[in-house]
Amino acid sequence: MAAVQIADVRKTFGTTHVIRGVDVDIEDGEFVILVGPSGCGKSTLLRMIAGLESITSGEIRIGNRVVNDVPPKDRDIAMVFQNYALYPHMNVADNMAFSLKLKNAPKSEIETRINRAATILGLTELLDRYPRQLSGGQRQRVAMGRAIVRDPQVFLFDEPLSNLDAKLRVSMRAEIKDLHQRLKTTTVYVTHDQIEAMTMAEKIVVMHDGIVEQIGAPLELYDHPANLFVACFIGSPSMNVLKGRVELGEFITAGGVRLPLEKTPPSALGKPAVYGVRPEHLKLSADGVPGKVLVIEPTGSETQVVVEVDGQPITCLLRERVAIQRGDTISVRADPALVHLFDAETGKRLTD
Amino acid sequence: MSLAKIFRKLGLVFAVFLIVSPALLFFIWMVSLSVKFEIDNGAYPPILIPEHFAWKNYTSVFESNNFLLYFKNSIIVTGAATLFGLIVGVPAGYGIARMNAQKSAIIIMIARMTPGLSFLIPLFLIFKGLDMLGTLWPQIIIHLVVTVPIVIWIMIGYFETTPIELEEAAMIDGANRWQIFMKVAMPIAKPGIVVSFILSVIFSWNNFVFGVVLASRETRTLPVAIYNMLSFEQVSWGPLAAAALIVTLPVLILTVAAQRQIVAGLTAGAVKGG
Amino acid sequence: MNTAVPSSSDGKKDAGPRQPKKGSLRPSHWPFIIPALVVVGGVIVFPWIFTLWMSVNGWQIGVEQHFVGLTNYQRLLTDARFIDSMGRTLSYTALSVIAPLFLGTLAALIFNTKLPGRGILRGIFVMPMMATPVAIALVWTMMFHPQLGILNYLLSLVGIGPQEWVFHPATVIPSLVLVETWQWTPLVMLIVLGGLASLPAEPYESASLDGASGWQKFRFITFPMIIPFLLIATMIRTIDALKSFDIIYAITQGGPGTASETINLYLYSVAFTYYDVGYGSAIAVVFFILIIALSLLLIYLRQRTSWLLGDA
Repeated sequence: MAAVQIADVRKTFGTTHVIRGVDVDIEDGEFVILVGPSGCGKSTLLRMIAGLESITSGEIRIGNRVVNDVPPKDRDIAMVFQNYALYPHMNVADNMAFSLKLKNAPKSEIETRINRAATILGLTELLDRYPRQLSGGQRQRVAMGRAIVRDPQVFLFDEPLSNLDAKLRVSMRAEIKDLHQRLKTTTVYVTHDQIEAMTMAEKIVVMHDGIVEQIGAPLELYDHPANLFVACFIGSPSMNVLKGRVELGEFITAGGVRLPLEKTPPSALGKPAVYGVRPEHLKLSADGVPGKVLVIEPTGSETQVVVEVDGQPITCLLRERVAIQRGDTISVRADPALVHLFDAETGKRLTD
Repeated sequence: MSLAKIFRKLGLVFAVFLIVSPALLFFIWMVSLSVKFEIDNGAYPPILIPEHFAWKNYTSVFESNNFLLYFKNSIIVTGAATLFGLIVGVPAGYGIARMNAQKSAIIIMIARMTPGLSFLIPLFLIFKGLDMLGTLWPQIIIHLVVTVPIVIWIMIGYFETTPIELEEAAMIDGANRWQIFMKVAMPIAKPGIVVSFILSVIFSWNNFVFGVVLASRETRTLPVAIYNMLSFEQVSWGPLAAAALIVTLPVLILTVAAQRQIVAGLTAGAVKGG
Repeated sequence: MNTAVPSSSDGKKDAGPRQPKKGSLRPSHWPFIIPALVVVGGVIVFPWIFTLWMSVNGWQIGVEQHFVGLTNYQRLLTDARFIDSMGRTLSYTALSVIAPLFLGTLAALIFNTKLPGRGILRGIFVMPMMATPVAIALVWTMMFHPQLGILNYLLSLVGIGPQEWVFHPATVIPSLVLVETWQWTPLVMLIVLGGLASLPAEPYESASLDGASGWQKFRFITFPMIIPFLLIATMIRTIDALKSFDIIYAITQGGPGTASETINLYLYSVAFTYYDVGYGSAIAVVFFILIIALSLLLIYLRQRTSWLLGDA
């Protein structure tokens, strides 16, 4: 096990800048998720940690060693690929044994390690099957088994669940998390799915356009997004945003709707800003802002209502069941304490 | 409706028969010629199935004219050229596919266009200068002109389609480039190796022009040997047809047995060849 | 052509993640290619260059080798036998491209249907192109025999008088084209069949809904979509027909007289019967240029059609 330090790392392909200066500190034993929309550079960064991509500038350390020029095989890492990358011509046991055989590990040790990994992952019955005879979830497990037997310093996961169906994804999520808690190996995990990031990570790194937008614990990102991008990216359904300006004690939208604020950041006064509120922080309330109901989506446990406020669709997530219909006018009110304000120009957070 | 369907089906069967019959009838006639005595082969109207079979046509082929020696020569030349073609061509196909240097394969396209004789003239002079013409080496070497391009061409296609992630996984598992090639890339591309093996065996076995120029009396391969039977030694049709059938039989058996692989290899090569 | 030497390719643009770059940790793949480079250089590239060099030299058995400049090429211009062989080659090639192309396409359409035993039938159909050409040629020679051959007997069944086939200057080229067509129609069939297999099903479904007949579907959907494959087949067929040697040599040796002497056969005679190596090399060079020129023309046509079809 080891810590991973990424210091001012950059990557360019020709004139395209894929990674534009990234700093991340990953502690020993930590479960870190790199998340972001496709093309944000998260996979490239992971592949740079693995040694599959070269580093244009900056430094990556694993443990105390700068690994910039260390080939993948000498980095003592294990990686689980999106499409599993199981060797199709080897059975499950051989797939897991491959790295150990390359190291000329003694036969008895290979056997012990494979059996241990197979037990952990429930693969004991499948050891002499071939990858093509396995289901998606089983293949996923074998890929993890291949990583576990190595007992590496760092686990790397590259969107490992994106080829699974929704139900399996949920159970595998729990399994991977459980695995990490048992093995306590430093883990770097890439996904584009913010729910995966929220449910699994100890620390999330939100990336966008080759830079890090914010690093923090899942709920920290949710409650205190550092900027508009993180605010909109984390959370589902995503945060409602309205453009306008900040006045003393209230926010006035472009269309002139007045929304109360708990605190007015002095620096923001009179400036164009963006008002953000999460759907679950909106409530039906007679003294709220009126809006026409556009869509009603009851899921049973909650009801998602889209109302038109200031000409924009605003999503509300209501715990209670409500007797409203499309076309009705209802009043909604945001809890002023849970409102976020962002600078309209830079997107930076104004409230704290 | 169903009557029309039956007629269509019949029409299709007839069309298939029509399109396959030139090949089928030719080989049937070839067999017929090879099992008839001279008197039956000269009969008018022609006889398809004779009353008495001339099996001695076949035994006489094996008894005469160093036929077994030529058979051995063919096996050595084809075997060596194919083996060497695979040893050289499979890694090359891998390297070209992985380096994304497909453009370099154009040299192989041009080699495919070059008339065999223009390889022969310079190499003939060199083999003559080195006094190698009495041995099988010149033929083995020049057959590489046939086998190496086939193998490289087919293998590029196969290695292109094997996912790069597998090799990245192997890299992380601690394999060096030879181990990646030997233990991951090559086993996965086994079907491609089979296809290129079959095709290079067939085209090398069938080659005639290289042998005509380079072979001496002792180093003839089978195609050259039967050609010489025609012009110098034999005039009777039965033994000649029998010899021709023996020469081409291995190839025909391979064709029918491995027709799926052959079709895959030829179309892949051809279609990519544009 | 390659940018893959790891130490010297810094600053190269557009390198995909696959391509090794400066400071890359991926091992180079050069060692895999080097053996093949040596072999290809020795038996393919070197002969090309050597042929070119010999073609500007006088090089005959018993004569000292000496530089003669373009004399060999000038000689070609006045060599009636060469010019005749050139014309013969072109007409032989034209016929040997058109006939297999037509029949092969027809066969592909038939093989593209669901029929029982398709694999075996296809295997039989492909046999002529895989069989040893010399062995095939021997049997065809017997079949062409004016008195004893089966072909004249078959003609008599439909009331046509005996022909002299390869034994008469007027019929020798068509007869050889018959063999060539018989032998190589399968290759065209395979290429077109590959093309047919790659066609999407949707246009046919929507055409059926629009009420198109079978012929209309072929004319307006299938045919335009397989044009690229037809051009590939044309190109391969052209190259092979130009280079055709085994069949012609084994059946007629260029005869009767020189009635079936194509460039390739003339080249063989000059180089290996008369041992006029310098002159033979000049013929080889011109022949090679002819093949390349025709191939480039077809590649150009293919690119234009792919562009027209929007899949370039």
